[in-house]
Amino acid sequence: MTLSRRAATEAWRLLGHLKETLGHPRRASWAVRSRRCRQCLCFMRKMLAAVSRVLSGASQKPASRVLVASRNFANDATFEIKKCDLHRLEEGPPVTTVLTREDGLKYYRMMQTVRRMELKADQLYKQKIIRGFCHLCDGQEACCVGLEAGINPTDHLITAYRAHGFTFTRGLSVREILAELTGRKGGCAKGKGGSMHMYAKNFYGGNGIVGAQVPLGAGIALACKYNGKDEVCLTLYGDGAANQGQIFEAYNMAALWKLPCIFICENNRYGMGTSVERAAASTDYYKRGDFIPGLRVDGMDILCVREATKFAAAYCRSGKGPILMELQTYRYHGHSMSDPGVSYRTREEIQEVRSKSDPIMLLKDRMVNSNLASVEELKEIDVEVRKEIEDAAQFATADPEPPLEELGYHIYSSDPPFEVRGANQWIKFKSVS
Amino acid sequence: MAFVAAAAGWLLRLRAAGAEGHWRRFHGVGLARGFLHPSATVEDAAQRRQVAHFTFQPDPEPREYGQTQKMNLFQSITSALDNSLAKDPTAVIFGEDVAFGGVFRCTVGLRDKYGKDRVFNTPLCEQGIVGFGIGIAVTGATAIAEIQFADYIFPAFDQIVNEAAKYRYRSGDLFNCGSLTIRSPWGCVGHGALYHSQSPEAFFAHCPGIKVVIPRSPFQAKGLLLSCIEDKNPCIFFEPKILYRAAAEQVPIEPYNIPLSQAEVIQEGSDVTLVAWGTQVHVIREVASMAKEKLGVSCEVIDLRTIIPWDVDTVCKNADPFSLGLYPTGKMKEETNNLY
Repeated sequence: MTLSRRAATEAWRLLGHLKETLGHPRRASWAVRSRRCRQCLCFMRKMLAAVSRVLSGASQKPASRVLVASRNFANDATFEIKKCDLHRLEEGPPVTTVLTREDGLKYYRMMQTVRRMELKADQLYKQKIIRGFCHLCDGQEACCVGLEAGINPTDHLITAYRAHGFTFTRGLSVREILAELTGRKGGCAKGKGGSMHMYAKNFYGGNGIVGAQVPLGAGIALACKYNGKDEVCLTLYGDGAANQGQIFEAYNMAALWKLPCIFICENNRYGMGTSVERAAASTDYYKRGDFIPGLRVDGMDILCVREATKFAAAYCRSGKGPILMELQTYRYHGHSMSDPGVSYRTREEIQEVRSKSDPIMLLKDRMVNSNLASVEELKEIDVEVRKEIEDAAQFATADPEPPLEELGYHIYSSDPPFEVRGANQWIKFKSVS
Repeated sequence: MAFVAAAAGWLLRLRAAGAEGHWRRFHGVGLARGFLHPSATVEDAAQRRQVAHFTFQPDPEPREYGQTQKMNLFQSITSALDNSLAKDPTAVIFGEDVAFGGVFRCTVGLRDKYGKDRVFNTPLCEQGIVGFGIGIAVTGATAIAEIQFADYIFPAFDQIVNEAAKYRYRSGDLFNCGSLTIRSPWGCVGHGALYHSQSPEAFFAHCPGIKVVIPRSPFQAKGLLLSCIEDKNPCIFFEPKILYRAAAEQVPIEPYNIPLSQAEVIQEGSDVTLVAWGTQVHVIREVASMAKEKLGVSCEVIDLRTIIPWDVDTVCKNADPFSLGLYPTGKMKEETNNLY
């Protein structure tokens, strides 16, 4: 027999043998003893699995669900967190914290949602579905989720333009956020605000001018104190804004009148393209409040941020006055979508932070290593989050834009509607409120 | 193979439809979207064009200032700053991100050429930048401050109006900050929204003591900027950001001056006077030609150039109390009404 005929006969025999064995429940296990059978079997199984995956379409849930339900997870675990540097404080937040399984999953889901939402915004911007300006906060998820974990929904928060993460953690849905980014009716500001102007209950934006939101935050804190409801105001700004004069004016007013204001400097090491060493005489942003006590927090560790926030909120609620927190964090994207982000820092630096201090990775490792969750379960959450973001992006792309008549709405508040002049005296807009 | 041919065909069709600017900026993923809905993208592009459309009309090549080179607006600004720093040893340029060249590349190469003590970055503090600039100018050095966007000039409004504008007057001419020039990108650009599109010249237009200048083209920009820097009064120079790359024409390499407070009559006419400044000049030029063609109206087009102190004589030369003066913004109309 020629080689080919021999090979063909062999193959046919093997296939027949396998057909027989696979169908027979008892003989299947016996068949794996033969090495060739084992290899072929492995290959066949993979092919069958792939084919079934393709045919069934959506992800295979049932099998993994069965797996999860059958495993026993720990209810909670204690972790050690980094000690915070203190300024004018005798003691700081605790160095150990307890994370429950429920909280862990919640934080993981929130951080993953923020991450995927930002990446989707990046994609939509490059497709020119989002226009204008877009400042992304991927890498800084631990800050927004950690801060939210340390306060109550009745507390107040105000931040600058890198606000998508905070908008989500303060209660808006991804749909509303993405629709606002694409400028559609379904957006949280009815499509008129865009990336930098998103608002929600107890979330005051979303502010474009650098540093301008800090005196506003001090004012909100005054209202909290005045109303006597034991609420605090988180006033965020960046390392670039820390050099603005109005911030120091706000520090003075808050300290003078003992306002329950937590000033938070999100130090991501670069103010647009300028590194902190080149912009600030003192890069110890937590000390910049001078007479205001401060703490420096590892902003890539969500548990550290949560504990520090709880500590700071308790400090303010006790009536001792304002406190300053510096969150040391990092952003993977450039300052905005028009900044590649690599002309003032090296790709190696970004890669290093991504591989060593990524907030989602840190939480995932912690949870898996202390048996709070399994890798499959977290992967499942990833898949669900991806689907949610896809749906939201679909909505954001398909929703209609606000009608042109609404261009002049809400300029003034007045009843009956007020007429506002446009670019010349023959153009009139109705300001309806 | 078929895919490549189809893609090429689509690209050619899109180009033919005249939506060049639109397809050129497609990235990989966007290409797929355009590929699937080519007609939608062409319509979108056409619709958007109608809303924010103007054509830059370059002036003829100037012959009287020596050799010229094709420059766009930001290159002509760089050339003007280069000439200033070369001529005046006390001149310094500062602002946010000017060291690497600026966010609009207006100061590219100047730090390498003149040193880091003459071209330097400031932290993020507009009030501080202008106050600091007033201080430099008061000692006699030439200060060229940059405010990154005109929308951010408001923290510095107090320094400009209360300090810079009144310095000479309140010290009885003992001190002045005349060698201060503030440069700032100005005007709408299409995607700027609230804080990258403002035209705040009207806020400064009623403040005696300062000069506000807005050029319409690279040639005008270089000459006017050099005049502002050499002028003995604090000047604010607004640069239309949409023209930074869109406007290109022949600009002399050597320094030259265009006088301030002098409006330019771009086109003579007898029926109506149209006054504009900055980007709007090009729109008004188109309007004038459309009026001539469709209504038979002869329009006089004037580029105001200096907003304050403005050239009353040129503007009102042809206008009498009974003729119409059309202005792109209504504020100047009040000014002229007061004259009668």
